[in-house]
Amino acid sequence: MGRLKQKGRAGAAKAYVTRSSAVKKLQCSLADFRRLCILKGIFPREPRHKKRANKGSTAPTSFYYAKDIAYLAHEPVLNKLREHKAFAKKISRALGRGEWSTAKNLEDNKPVYRLDHIIKERYPSFIDAVRDIDDALCMIHLFASLPSNPRVSSALIENCARLTAEWQLYVMHTRSLRNVFLSIKGVYYQAEVMDQNVTWLVPYQFPQNIPSDVDVRVMLTFLELYQTLLGFVFFKLYTDAGLVYPPPLDSGKDESGAGVGAFNLRTTNPTPITGAPKNDAPKVSSKEVRQTIKNITAESSSVPFTDVDIDRADHTNSFPDAAEEEFVPQASKSDLDVPSSLPTLLSLSSLPKPSSTNIFAPYTFWLSRESSRSIFEFLIRSFGGRIGWPVSSGGGSPFTEDDEAITHVIIDRPTAKGDTAQERERRRRRKYVQPQWVVDCINAGKILLEDLYAQGKTLPPHLSPFGERDGAYDPTIGLVNVENSLVEVDDAELSEDSQDIEDVEMRPELEGDITSMAALAVAAADDPEALRAVELAAEAAGVDYGTFEKEVQKKQQQQKQKHKGDAAVDGSGEEDMNKILMSKRKRQLYERMKYGEKKRATEHAKLEEKRTKIQKDRRRKARAL
Amino acid sequence: MAVTGLGKVRNKRRQEEVEEVEKGPFAGAVDLEMQSEDEAEDEDQEGDDTSDDGDVDEFPEIDAASDSDEETDEEEEEEGTDDLGEEDTLDENSDADSDLHIFPKSKKVVSDITGQTKVVYPEIEPDYDSDSSTEDDPNRVGNIPMHWYDDLPHLGYNINGKRVLRPAKGDELDRFLQTVDDPNSWTTAFDQNAQMDKPLSAEELDIIRRLQAGENPDAEYNPYEPTIEWFTGKGKEEVTPLSSAPEPKRRWLPSKWEKQKIMKIVRAIRQGRIVGSKPTAADKKQQFYAIWNEPPSNQAPPLPAPKPKLPTHSESYNPPEEYLPTEEEREQWENTDPEDRERDYLPHKYPALRLVPAYDQFIKQRFNRQLDLYLAPRIQRVKLNVDPNSLLPKLPSPNSLRPFPNYKSLQFMHTKARVRCLSISPDGAWVASGDESGVISLWEVNVGREVKRWSLGSKVGAIEWCPRLDACFFVVGTEEQLHFFIPPNISPAMLTMTQSALAPGTLPPVTQSSIKWISTSGAAEDGPILTIELPSASGLSRQLTWHKKGDYLASVSSSETQGSVWMHQISRRHSQSPFKKIKGAVQMVLFHPTKPHFFVATQRYVRLYNLAEQKLLKTLMPGIKWISSMDVHPSGDHIIVGGYDRKLCWFDLELSEKPYKVLRYHSRAIRSLHFHPTYPLFASSSDDGSIQIFHARVYSDLMTDPLIVPLKILRGHDVQEGLGVLQIKWVNKQPWLVSAGADGSVSLWCS
Repeated sequence: MGRLKQKGRAGAAKAYVTRSSAVKKLQCSLADFRRLCILKGIFPREPRHKKRANKGSTAPTSFYYAKDIAYLAHEPVLNKLREHKAFAKKISRALGRGEWSTAKNLEDNKPVYRLDHIIKERYPSFIDAVRDIDDALCMIHLFASLPSNPRVSSALIENCARLTAEWQLYVMHTRSLRNVFLSIKGVYYQAEVMDQNVTWLVPYQFPQNIPSDVDVRVMLTFLELYQTLLGFVFFKLYTDAGLVYPPPLDSGKDESGAGVGAFNLRTTNPTPITGAPKNDAPKVSSKEVRQTIKNITAESSSVPFTDVDIDRADHTNSFPDAAEEEFVPQASKSDLDVPSSLPTLLSLSSLPKPSSTNIFAPYTFWLSRESSRSIFEFLIRSFGGRIGWPVSSGGGSPFTEDDEAITHVIIDRPTAKGDTAQERERRRRRKYVQPQWVVDCINAGKILLEDLYAQGKTLPPHLSPFGERDGAYDPTIGLVNVENSLVEVDDAELSEDSQDIEDVEMRPELEGDITSMAALAVAAADDPEALRAVELAAEAAGVDYGTFEKEVQKKQQQQKQKHKGDAAVDGSGEEDMNKILMSKRKRQLYERMKYGEKKRATEHAKLEEKRTKIQKDRRRKARAL
Repeated sequence: MAVTGLGKVRNKRRQEEVEEVEKGPFAGAVDLEMQSEDEAEDEDQEGDDTSDDGDVDEFPEIDAASDSDEETDEEEEEEGTDDLGEEDTLDENSDADSDLHIFPKSKKVVSDITGQTKVVYPEIEPDYDSDSSTEDDPNRVGNIPMHWYDDLPHLGYNINGKRVLRPAKGDELDRFLQTVDDPNSWTTAFDQNAQMDKPLSAEELDIIRRLQAGENPDAEYNPYEPTIEWFTGKGKEEVTPLSSAPEPKRRWLPSKWEKQKIMKIVRAIRQGRIVGSKPTAADKKQQFYAIWNEPPSNQAPPLPAPKPKLPTHSESYNPPEEYLPTEEEREQWENTDPEDRERDYLPHKYPALRLVPAYDQFIKQRFNRQLDLYLAPRIQRVKLNVDPNSLLPKLPSPNSLRPFPNYKSLQFMHTKARVRCLSISPDGAWVASGDESGVISLWEVNVGREVKRWSLGSKVGAIEWCPRLDACFFVVGTEEQLHFFIPPNISPAMLTMTQSALAPGTLPPVTQSSIKWISTSGAAEDGPILTIELPSASGLSRQLTWHKKGDYLASVSSSETQGSVWMHQISRRHSQSPFKKIKGAVQMVLFHPTKPHFFVATQRYVRLYNLAEQKLLKTLMPGIKWISSMDVHPSGDHIIVGGYDRKLCWFDLELSEKPYKVLRYHSRAIRSLHFHPTYPLFASSSDDGSIQIFHARVYSDLMTDPLIVPLKILRGHDVQEGLGVLQIKWVNKQPWLVSAGADGSVSLWCS
């Protein structure tokens, strides 16, 4: 017999700590703990057995991994937070005593924490960071549009605005924008950066007020992290694209409201070798080199030793051949950011190059003043178009309204009555489109017909480019059976109308005859002779052949539907019976899945039903007119 | 009258004294005319006084026309009431002002001798009026706490050692009226020594005013007196130094040590050992660098947070119209709590982009996302992407397992009560069904025609045909009795065989038993041919079961006592109770089809006894709260047990005491189970009114598990008072099922 196990010494009781005990262990305030959790990305966990993790209690508590907390205890930021607490005490004392010089000294030596190491920890490789910048982009775009107040300083807002401009500049420069969606919440953008889809949401340009039930401190802590993260990500993106980071700001242009245009992208000097390979070269250990050589000699004997470094230094412009292909993964162990998937020329060329990134290149746009410049300047420029705007939308427009090159005018107001001759001339030469056209073109990847989107027209619906999950209701697909049923309904109505006229001479029992005969005909459908007999009987009864045919068809359809229904009933019964023999766990899973399926199906059916109803209404209206 | 006259004189003197006091220190300020006025008033009052003197005991009337100095007036009245016996010192107030010293006016006179001015005070005439101290202050107790006299009728003593009586106080109403009538009442104060309110003089009021204003109470105090220069000014300077020490050098020479210290710092700065503080603004600014240039550690990166869902069509500013909510949907959305909503927005259609307003929940939703990021526990879930139908067990199609009953071919109605029991003859031609009103119907399976009906007085609990093929009879269990019936229209050979079995000519020797066997051979047409009287208070016989050879019959009564199970042997006409003691109420008993074994189902367990060896073989634990029914597979190796808690357990007797399979598919209690004697079928009936048919194939080799396939749910019985199908029986040699329901119908289900 082994040692007796004591309770609480191993397992869940040891692996999890509650939040209050974590705070106690770290000896910091709850606010500091929250800040640390946000910065370090530590979140509560759900233990499998709550009772075991919480010493037998089932009270609702949040649990953290004990290891996470132990890891937090060694965090330099925690020390800085403690220092900051002491600093706050000192400075409040100095201010209380009126010792201004001491206070100033203290303020100058205020403890400031850096988040660089946290960024590196949370995102060991660059791809990880790019994958996770969605929320960061949303937040900086939100804060860039907020008014400053005592809690949200203007410097912070300025920094956020700078970051948004830098991001937009990068996306425009690399033409990486893929999808745009105008929603009721704001504008969703999706860009493809480093093969990762980055989606962010930008609110429409209106003053936003922070509601009272929102804790600004939490948002500011997140923002702190996000600003640092984005700074490093942008640095890497810019330097990889051969641009200088941060892009220099033209203060004159900025003051005139040029927005993104106030920054000028400057390429780095191509002659000096970039930092990456330089740093890399001395890092190659002799062991690795030896191993590489061994590999190479095993394959082909004649590769000289010096080639290795050269190849590693500029592998992107190395000639692609088979030997090289095998070599790359070996060397990549010591490489920088993308260790596993180094892009070779072969793989790059095999990738489908999106041709739609230049769709606006041949056109020049003029933005009328009621459309948001920040949205459309970004959109048009990231798809290669040129765009100008009136002074009322901000300075820095590359051309004026009377420029001959303008091909499209983005306008979002109803058509005006009185046109001057000049305007009429302009209307003839330019195309006036509503803003949705731009977005729909981008999502379609091609230039759409402008007529549907012309000024003052009712727009076609704007659909999400992100799509829905599989099998969901698709509004673009025309409902086939709906069309059929529509036609049918129309016919029925028409026939009713016509019958109304004939009703006077038609005997009521005749109709009954028709239906019964039709039923007979359906029953005898497979037997041509019987069918023939029924037809004859119908003729004898004085029924028109056309109406008879129609009746037969209707009956047939009804019968089909009935059969379908029967089959469904039978099927469901069988399924139910087979469920008897399932284990409880499987049965529950099955029932959950069925429930979800049913819910989706009802949703789908509801939408379809609504659509048919709308179409019917429309038809009726059209006919009434 | 003499006394009053004296009082008058004194009063006058007091008045004068008061005037003098008022005059005292502020003589210059006080107007003389006022004094005269007062005097005049006093004169009047005196006049009043005299007139009032007569009515002593009457309460003093308040004269509305009386003057400002009413107090004195009243005092005098009081005095008039109190004057008997006592000295008239009463009204001689010890005035607080009497303490004030009165100085006579001084004169400045140039002395003849010195030539200087000098202050000359007037001569004090040592007459009666000259010194206030000589004046007779009525109360001579001195400066003592007056509360010492609080509970005494007097205030102190006058100069003659006589008591000074306390002035009478009116009640609260009086005092209030006084304050109303007297316009000067707000300038009066309570005098401790005299124990009454006294008006304050103008000087005293002035002092109060000054104290209130925070000024010096002395009106003549001048805070801005001109300074007198003693040491400054021409000719008043100090010429000689205070100390004779020479002045130190440090007063005019720079410090050498300080210079050395400074030079040390300067040198350090020059050499770069001390660096001036950096500009703070630049320090604060974040410097970015290539943080990802170093190779990442081998550790796996932390899992990225799940991304929010991408927007769907319904979130568009201009969605297709079918996405717009109807009025009901909108109302429903608004009435649900924000956290219960499926979508956090309501679709809305705007005709143009310029009309789209700001989204008011934007910040709130971003904030919620952040709360999710740092507060919500995350679990990694494997997303199942399987077809739910693939989870269903692969079973042969019911169509390949025909025949089984799937439709109701005929129905036989018992009109009066619910049918509890039924039994089918071994040849499969007849059904006997009994209802709760005591009616037993015998009818043909094929056509449903009733052949005969017996009416017993009491409830019928069980019916069972004898499995013998050479004889034909059935047993009916009622309250405390078992009746044996012979159906009509049987062949004479069989009838004689049956009669010889049930009522033999020579009765076997009577055995010792509490059970009586009664033959009623005469009434073979209408009544039972044989009756077994069970012990009294054994209740309704709930179940009957035959041994397959048809000689032994076991009966279970509904009483909870020990004697609920009886075993009857027809050939010996003998009954015995097989168990001396049994734990729990027996629900059902069954004979093993091949072995001398006996199954007994109590409320929770099924026990298997070997009758030959008289011992317990096995206890099966189905885990059912209350067993309702049980049946043995014809092979004898499997049994099924059903319970009121809707469970059905399949036991393989070779395997374990725990069920091989537990099924729960009925929505109400299971009432009856039956294995088909020849076909691989079994059925269960339930209080939900349905009958479930299963295909149950048992393989002879021990390796293969029995195959159970649900085939069909038969519905057709109504549920009445919570009871559905009470008993089911298979028809021998046919895949047909007969079911008895609580709605009084007995149905035949055919394939």
